[in-house]
Amino acid sequence: MVFDRRLLLRGLFQGAAVSMALPFLDCFLDESGQALAATGKRIPTRFGTYFWGCGLTKELYLPKSDSGPQGGAETRAQYLARLAKYEDTPQLASLKPLKSKFNLFSGMRAEVDNKGNFQHWTGVAAISTGIAPTQDQRFDAQTIDQTIADVIGHTTRFKSIEVSCSGNKNESYSSLGGANTNPPETSVLGLYTRLFGPGFQDPSKGDWKPDPHVMMQQSVLSVVAEDRKRFMQNLSANDRARMEQYFTSVREAEQQVAAELQRPEVVAQVTIPQSPEEMPVNKSVPALQKVVPVMSKLLAIGLATNQTNVFNMALAEPASTIFMPGDSKPFHQATHEEPVDPAVGYQPVTSKFSTYSMEMYAALLKELDAVQEGDGTLLDHSLVLAYTDTSYAKLHGLDGIPMLLAGNASGRVRTGMHIAGAGSPVSRVGLTIQQALGMSIDKWGAGSMETNKPVSEILV
Amino acid sequence: MNTKAVALAAIFGIGLTGVTFHAEAAPNNVIAPSKTEVAGLRRLTESEYRNSIADIFGSNIRVEGRFEPGRRVGGLLSASSAILSVTPAGFEAYSKMADSIAAQVVDEKNRAKLVPCKPKSASAPDDVCAIRFLTQYGFLLFRRPLTPEEISRRVALADDMTKSSGSFYTGLRYSLATLMSAPDFLFRTEIAVPGEGKNYTLEPYSRASRLSYLIWNSTPDSQLLQAAQTGELNTTAGVTKEVDRLMASPRLKVGMRAFFSDLFQLDNFSNTTKDGVIYPEWSDQVAASAQEETLRTAIDLTLTSNGDIRDLMTTRNTFMDRTLASIYDVQFNFKGDWEPYSFPESAGRSGLLTQVSLLGMFSHPGRSSPTERGVAILDILMCQPSPLPPPTVDLSAIDNNTDPNLKTVRQRLMAHATNPTCASCHRRTDPLGLSLEQFNSVGARRDRDNGELIDVSSAIGTEKFSGAVGLGKVLHNDPKFPACFARKLYSYGTGANTDDVKPAMFSAAFKTFTDDGYRLRTLLRAMATSPEFFSAPPPVDAAKPVTKAAN
Repeated sequence: MVFDRRLLLRGLFQGAAVSMALPFLDCFLDESGQALAATGKRIPTRFGTYFWGCGLTKELYLPKSDSGPQGGAETRAQYLARLAKYEDTPQLASLKPLKSKFNLFSGMRAEVDNKGNFQHWTGVAAISTGIAPTQDQRFDAQTIDQTIADVIGHTTRFKSIEVSCSGNKNESYSSLGGANTNPPETSVLGLYTRLFGPGFQDPSKGDWKPDPHVMMQQSVLSVVAEDRKRFMQNLSANDRARMEQYFTSVREAEQQVAAELQRPEVVAQVTIPQSPEEMPVNKSVPALQKVVPVMSKLLAIGLATNQTNVFNMALAEPASTIFMPGDSKPFHQATHEEPVDPAVGYQPVTSKFSTYSMEMYAALLKELDAVQEGDGTLLDHSLVLAYTDTSYAKLHGLDGIPMLLAGNASGRVRTGMHIAGAGSPVSRVGLTIQQALGMSIDKWGAGSMETNKPVSEILV
Repeated sequence: MNTKAVALAAIFGIGLTGVTFHAEAAPNNVIAPSKTEVAGLRRLTESEYRNSIADIFGSNIRVEGRFEPGRRVGGLLSASSAILSVTPAGFEAYSKMADSIAAQVVDEKNRAKLVPCKPKSASAPDDVCAIRFLTQYGFLLFRRPLTPEEISRRVALADDMTKSSGSFYTGLRYSLATLMSAPDFLFRTEIAVPGEGKNYTLEPYSRASRLSYLIWNSTPDSQLLQAAQTGELNTTAGVTKEVDRLMASPRLKVGMRAFFSDLFQLDNFSNTTKDGVIYPEWSDQVAASAQEETLRTAIDLTLTSNGDIRDLMTTRNTFMDRTLASIYDVQFNFKGDWEPYSFPESAGRSGLLTQVSLLGMFSHPGRSSPTERGVAILDILMCQPSPLPPPTVDLSAIDNNTDPNLKTVRQRLMAHATNPTCASCHRRTDPLGLSLEQFNSVGARRDRDNGELIDVSSAIGTEKFSGAVGLGKVLHNDPKFPACFARKLYSYGTGANTDDVKPAMFSAAFKTFTDDGYRLRTLLRAMATSPEFFSAPPPVDAAKPVTKAAN
C-alpha cells in the first residue's frame, strides 16, 4: 500500500489515531508453534551475549564425567542422557538452579591460522566472528550478534543494546566489522534512559499511538540516505567500506523507525520501573555485584516489551581488570603473576575472579528467567551465549575456551548438557546458534575455523 | 533540480557550487572532478563535534548524547578518526543529537538570533527564508557550500514538514537536522587535487578545515571559509595570514588543550579505577583535577610563557587545587580554585612525569606499575610503542613475595627480567618506571615499599640516573622527545598514523622548531604554513602527474 506520509502526519498532529498498513515486519523465526502464546500473539526469539575476560579455572569448572562421543552400542537417547548427567562443579555452583536451562561447552579451540595470537583478542574475535583476527582490536567480519540482529532485530525500536557493566565506553564486542564497536550503555541510568526514557511508549497502555515525531524522523533519514550515491564517489576501498558501514547504519535507523510506528505485541506481564538511582559503576567486584542484577533486570524488561531482541553485555574487558578492594592485584594481573598453589593445583585468587564472573552470568539469567511470557519464561524464548577470550589466562591459552549457552530458543535447543568439543573449532557454537534461530546457513567461519558441523546434540 | 532554489540563492549572493568549488576559486586551473581524490575522511571527535556546534550556534545550545568511542592509533585518538565509521547505535545517537540541536536552534527563545530571516507566515512554507537558512548553516556545517541539489532537497523537506505540522519552524528544524546527520558534517572530507609533481594537495575548503581543527579543535569560521572561497588558501601568503589570525585568537588555547589531552592520553582517566580500600583519598574529583593540572601546566609553559617544550619533563611549576593538594600533601591556603604552585626541590617532582595524571593512569588500581609507566613514557614521549608480551609467559616470580630476597617490586621485576624473552622489552621499560617508584598508584610520595627503602637508581644503556628528577633530565636532553612531539603534532593535524609518518613530511618545520628553541608556537606555525601539511599521496590509480593546481 502506498500511503501519503504528509496526510498521515497531518492526521497525527490533529490528534486523530490513524490505522496504518505498514509492511508486516515480523520475521519468520516466530512461526514455530511454541512461539505463539495462548493469546495467539507472537513471542519473538531473542539473542544475547555475556562476555567476561580471562576464562575459567579448568580444575574448578570442568566436569570429569564422561562426555565422550556416542558409543557404538549407545542409542542417541542414551548418549544425550549421558551428556546431561554431568556432575556439579564449584565454579558453576551459582548456575546450579538453572542447570537444566543451559549447555556447557568445553574443549573447543580458537585457531590462529598463522595470524599470531593477539593476546586477549584472538579468542574474542574467533568466537564472535568465526575468523582469526588479522589485527589486534579489529574484527575481520561483523560479529554474530549483528548477523542475527539483521534477521531478528528490525522489528523493535533498537536493533541491539550493548551494556558495559564496569562503565567503560570502549567495552563492547559487538561490531559491523573493523575497529568500530557498537557503543555500550555505561551506567544504570543510561541504560534505563535508552530503553524507557524519551521516545518510549508503554505498549501495554491503551493510548499507544504512533509518534508523529517518529514519522518526521523517517523523512529526515530518507534525505540523509539519498546522499549515498554521491558520497561514495571517488573513495578509496578502505573509505568505501567505512562509508558502506555508515550508510548501513542509516538504513538500519530507517528500519528501526519503521518498527517504532507499530505497536509492539507484548505477551509478558511486566511493569515499567521508575527511573533508578544512579549507582557507582566501576571494576570493583562489589560494585559489579550490585550493578549487574539491576542492568540485567532493565534488559529483561526491555526485551519483554520488545524494545530490542538482541543484547550484548560485557562484564569487563578481555584482559579483565576487575578487582577486590583491599587486594592490590586485579584479575588479569593475578592470572599472570599468581603461582599455582601446589596443594590444590590451581591459582586460588585468580579462580575467585572466574567464579565471580560466573555468578554474574547467573544473575543475568536469573532476571531473564524471572519474566513469565506465555507458556515459559523470557529465558526460554532466548539464547544467551556466555563466552570469554581464553582458556588458561596465565598462558593466553586458546584450546578449551569455555562457553555456555542458556535458553532453548522457544524449544529449538535441547539444554542441560555438557558437550566436550574435543579440539573442534569454537565456530561450531556460532553456527549452531544461527541454525537454532532458523537462519539458512550451512557453514560459518573462515580458515581452519570454517565449519559445517553444528553441535547437533543440542539441536532439536 | 530546483531552479527556483538556485535563483534565490543567487539573490543572497551565496555560492551554491559543489564539487567544482575549488576550480571556481582558482579559475585558471580548472580541474575536472574526476581528477580529485578523497584524501581523508575523518570522523569528528567528541570535542570537535561539541566545539563546532558551539561555534556555529552558540554555546547555550546543549549537546546531549553519547558519542562513539575512539580507538588510539599510533598513540593518538585523532588518528583513529581516520579509520572509524559510524555504527548503528552510534548513528542512532547522532541523529537524536541532530534533532535536539535543531529543535533548540528554531526554538522561540533562539530563533530571533539564529534564524536569519522571518517567514511571510509562521504557519506556511517560505522557500526564500528556508533557502537562506539552509544555505547559511549548510555552509558552516559542511565546511563548504552546498550544491543546489543538496539545498533543494532540504527545502522540499522543509515545505513538506511545514505543511504537515502547520509550522514553518518545524519544517526548518527537520531540514536542519538532515545536515547534522549527514556524513558531510560528521566526517571531515578532505579532497585533494593534483599539485606539484606526482603529489596531490588539498583544495582550499579542506585546507580550511585542516587548519581550524588543528589550531582551534573546531570548525572553520566564516572568515576562514571566505579565504577558501576566494582561493587565498591556495597560496602560501594566504595560508600564513590565516594561520597567524587563528593563532592570535584565544581559541588557540582550546585547540592546544585538545592536542595535549590526546597526546598525554588523558581520556584514560574515564577508565581509571582506584581501590577505595587502599586509596580512600582517590575520587572522580581527583581524576578530573589531575587532568586539569596537566593541561594547565602544558598550556602555561608552552603558550603563556612560550617556553621550551622539553621543560615539560623537568619543571617544578604546576597548578594546584584543593583536591590535588591533599594528594600532593601540600598545604592549600589559596583564594581561588586553581593557583600556580612550585614544588620545592626536596619534593623530588619533575614536570609531567610526576603529576598525578600520568602516575595514576599508568598504575594498577591498588599498586604502582613500573612496567606500565615505562611503556607509557616510551609510547607517549618517545614514539616507541612496545610490542605485546609473548603469549606464553609465566610471571609467577613477580608475585612470589614469600621469598625473603624479593621484597620490593624492583627485586621481583628484576627476577623475571632475567628471562631473555622478557628482558628484551623490560630492559627498556622497567628502568624508566622504576625511577618513578617513589610515587604510588595515585601519585603520592612514598619512600618505602613493603617496608624496604625504595631504590630509585636506574640506567638506560650506559647512562646512569636517579629518581624522577634524573629521568626528567634524561628525557629533556634526549632528541627523541622533541622529534616525537613534532611527529605527533603532524599526525594530529593530518590524521596520519604516527607510525607511518616519516621525518621528511615535516622536516622544514622541525628545523625551524629546533633552531628556535623547541617552542610550540613556532612548530605549529611552521607546520601549518608548510606545503607538506596539505600534501596527499596521489590516488592509487593515478598513472602520471597532471597539470598543477595550486602553490
